Amino acid sequence: MSINNNIWEFAEAFVAGALSESDLNELNNRLASDKVFAAEFYESTNLLKSMNANGKQMRFRSLLNEIHDSEIKNTKVKAGRRIELPAHFWRTAAVAAGVALLTSTITFTILNPSSKKTDSQYVTISREVAGLKESQKQLNQNQKKLETDIKKINQPPAAHVRFTGTGFALNNDGYFVTSNHVVEGADSIYIQDRNGDYFKATKLAFDAASDLAVLKIAKKNFHFGKGEVPYTFANGKSGLGTNIFTLGYPKNDLFYSSGVISSSNGFDGNELQYTLELPVGHGQSGSPVLDDKGNVIGILTAIGGDAEANTYAVSSKALISLLKDQLSEHTIHLNKTNKLRNLNREQQIEKMQAFTFSVKVYKK
Amino acid sequence: MQGFINTEHQLLAALASGDRKVASQLYQQNYPIVKGWLAKNGGSESDAADLFQEAMVVLFGKAQDSDFRLTCSISTYLMSISKHLWYKRLEKQSRDPVFLKEDIGTDEDEGGIGYEDDLKVHEEREIHYEMLNAALEQVGEPCSSLLKAFYHKDKSMQEITASFGYTNSDNAKNQKYKCLARLRKLFYGMAS
Repeated sequence: MSINNNIWEFAEAFVAGALSESDLNELNNRLASDKVFAAEFYESTNLLKSMNANGKQMRFRSLLNEIHDSEIKNTKVKAGRRIELPAHFWRTAAVAAGVALLTSTITFTILNPSSKKTDSQYVTISREVAGLKESQKQLNQNQKKLETDIKKINQPPAAHVRFTGTGFALNNDGYFVTSNHVVEGADSIYIQDRNGDYFKATKLAFDAASDLAVLKIAKKNFHFGKGEVPYTFANGKSGLGTNIFTLGYPKNDLFYSSGVISSSNGFDGNELQYTLELPVGHGQSGSPVLDDKGNVIGILTAIGGDAEANTYAVSSKALISLLKDQLSEHTIHLNKTNKLRNLNREQQIEKMQAFTFSVKVYKK
Repeated sequence: MQGFINTEHQLLAALASGDRKVASQLYQQNYPIVKGWLAKNGGSESDAADLFQEAMVVLFGKAQDSDFRLTCSISTYLMSISKHLWYKRLEKQSRDPVFLKEDIGTDEDEGGIGYEDDLKVHEEREIHYEMLNAALEQVGEPCSSLLKAFYHKDKSMQEITASFGYTNSDNAKNQKYKCLARLRKLFYGMAS
């Protein structure tokens, strides 16, 4: 083999360690005497080594992907090893299973319209309007509205409100979000804004797993306020310890509270949720949770009924994927410019009021 | 103890050659641990897959050197690299989160394994490969396809001769050398 004929053939053999002793000697002599050749030769061998190693690593990466897809993803529920239980343990096992069943039933009971149990560890925080007082207040309010604003056509329906929650605007085109459990099984859904006006809404999409529902005000060309919504939506998960605040309607008046993210997963390790240290009340399901800079990081969904009194919020990431998965044809544009970033808290709240409202649900 | 070291060493050697069985075994043994740890530290399942595969590539890179010896078990190594990668990623995101870092102090106690150095080498190598791939895109056809077929897809010269329609494998080989020369000019022109 002659070096002059083809430097590449030589370089290839050199990298592979396949040069004969005489070739190696010839090479070393040439490298020592010809600086230009030496530089070119080193570049060539380096390039070949890189090409080889890069290709090898690429194949390894696709091997890993392939292993993940074929062996890891699909074997989530691994068939466990079965151990036969000796007959005399059956009684003990039955008792143990009974206790376990009882404990778990107590631990996780979601409040729904048919069961009014509230002494559970996890309670969704929509508010069921009950009692004469509440209806009375409602009637009074309606009455007052009728008197003061007789020309208004945005009247509440005659039936009784069964559930209330909170909703907030996704953008200024009438799209908004609230908790799915608030609007589940509703005959009709209305929002009541801060002026007391009612607007009918229709449900566009919901996801029971993340407890989110996206709705739109039925009225054409409806706008929540002047200009675009002032907040933006966080795309990723925020860190533990992030300062947060929320606005909602536990009763008929807007309510503010602040706290921190205490865990980046929610109830029972739920990855869609955050655990928050944030005092909230019934009726605040669906309220926006924002960080100091005015990014919506989540939507309130439930409180823990245990001593720690945790609050749970669905992450904004889950909301964004709901929009992507179910509502891509609606092209709901989320606001990209944050107008809250440099404001103090009072100003932030003032700006947000037009976009946060009570959600009233009517059921038979 | 001797047997143990041999086993891990053999595993690494097999991994370095891209052995599917070994890669799969390491994956199944260690991925659930990384996934479990990440779930407690604010990462999703897809983050876990990303992170773990990156850690496997770091190990794969280290294992290419046949003199490489791990000073800890493969599992410990993969876990530590994954943790370091995750903290790095969090720093990059710079959403100034106050993450409660789990104590990773034990790493240093195990004889200074130098994960930071390993990751630095890995990062530099990734940048190098990125530039190489960028040059490979600029080299033009048929060179780009030919070199990718040979180096990335591990096709033999016979297969390339047939699929690219060369009359014989010498022609294909000469074409490959010409392409390499062009790539060298592009790449080292770019780097300097």
